[in-house]
Amino acid sequence: MENKPPLSPHIQIYRWHISSLVSITHRITGIINFVGITFICIWSCLLLLGENNYEIIDLFFKSFLGKFIILGITWSFSFQILSEIRHLIMDLGYGFEPKIINITGLIVIFGSVILTVIFFTLGKTF
Amino acid sequence: MVQISLPQNSKVKKGKYYKDKTGSKNLKKVNVYRWDPSTGENPRIDTYEVDMDNCPSKVLDILNKIKNEIDPTLAYRRSCAHGVCGSCAMNMGGKNGLACTKPHSEIDGDIDIYPLPHLKVKKDLIGDLDGLYKQYKSIEPWLKSSSKSEAVEIIQSKEDRAKLDGAYECIMCACCSTSCPSYWWNGDKYLGPAVLLQAYRWIIDSRDEERQARLKKVADELKLYRCHTILNCTSACPKGLNPAKAIAEIKKMLATANI
Repeated sequence: MENKPPLSPHIQIYRWHISSLVSITHRITGIINFVGITFICIWSCLLLLGENNYEIIDLFFKSFLGKFIILGITWSFSFQILSEIRHLIMDLGYGFEPKIINITGLIVIFGSVILTVIFFTLGKTF
Repeated sequence: MVQISLPQNSKVKKGKYYKDKTGSKNLKKVNVYRWDPSTGENPRIDTYEVDMDNCPSKVLDILNKIKNEIDPTLAYRRSCAHGVCGSCAMNMGGKNGLACTKPHSEIDGDIDIYPLPHLKVKKDLIGDLDGLYKQYKSIEPWLKSSSKSEAVEIIQSKEDRAKLDGAYECIMCACCSTSCPSYWWNGDKYLGPAVLLQAYRWIIDSRDEERQARLKKVADELKLYRCHTILNCTSACPKGLNPAKAIAEIKKMLATANI
């Protein structure tokens, strides 16, 4: 008797590459940005409603959670920007050699951290 | 649809352990995915201790050694043993490749051998590629030209011939398609890198007269645009080809052409 064939393991066993890691992070940061922008919009709208709201928001952003969220969104935007540029270049048909794929992937990963630091310090000084 | 976990009947269990009987000092543990269609049991991982002192350099040599000397019930496809036929495509050390061209020295520690990912398993390391072959047929991988030119030679310039380099060498081993997460989740509709590389091969062939029709056929949200440049295909290809670039070229043609 023939039994129902099983499905061979896939994501459980497939090794992660730089390119697949950047790809999935691109999607996740996309969702984070979507939510982040919504919150920024709500925040700006609340400012129109008065000074009290500003104080509440200010208090929240000075808390640990608030700082974490700011840092997280900054990183998420930085990653998305760099990864999107990488996609633009690939859409033009460049950068598909295995070596270049890894190099641009690493640039996106480390560049996003550097950009986060830059954006964050810029935001703090001004 | 995205389904991260395996169905109940596909969950992998621990299997038998074959201890070394040769008394060799240079042993390597090889974990092999096993499924026997004649029993109702779930797939299992059998572990073999293989004497590496008397084993040639490729992963296929290990499998042959297991089949010949340890466990003759192991099933896998192989034919040419020179990376030309594409039969022995499987997942080794978490990456797809041809067992006959993959040196086992490239895999650190225990060697894990699985069938190609996200396929229906027929037995042990043999996956069902019928779906992929049907998709291959759907792109009509043959030269199409008007009837009058059938009698005379169709001349191709050296430049036009060079465009086929990197596309015609494909051996349809399915390493790339089964490495692609998009193909895992949407393999019934998305054509996958192997078939799209072949679609590209016929689109750019200067002798083919159905270029427009071929492009139109492949221009589909699901057939083509499920490619999200994850690039697993390019890093998996055992022949060093670049399906991701071919897909990008098709997308580019569609963006610029007037169809």
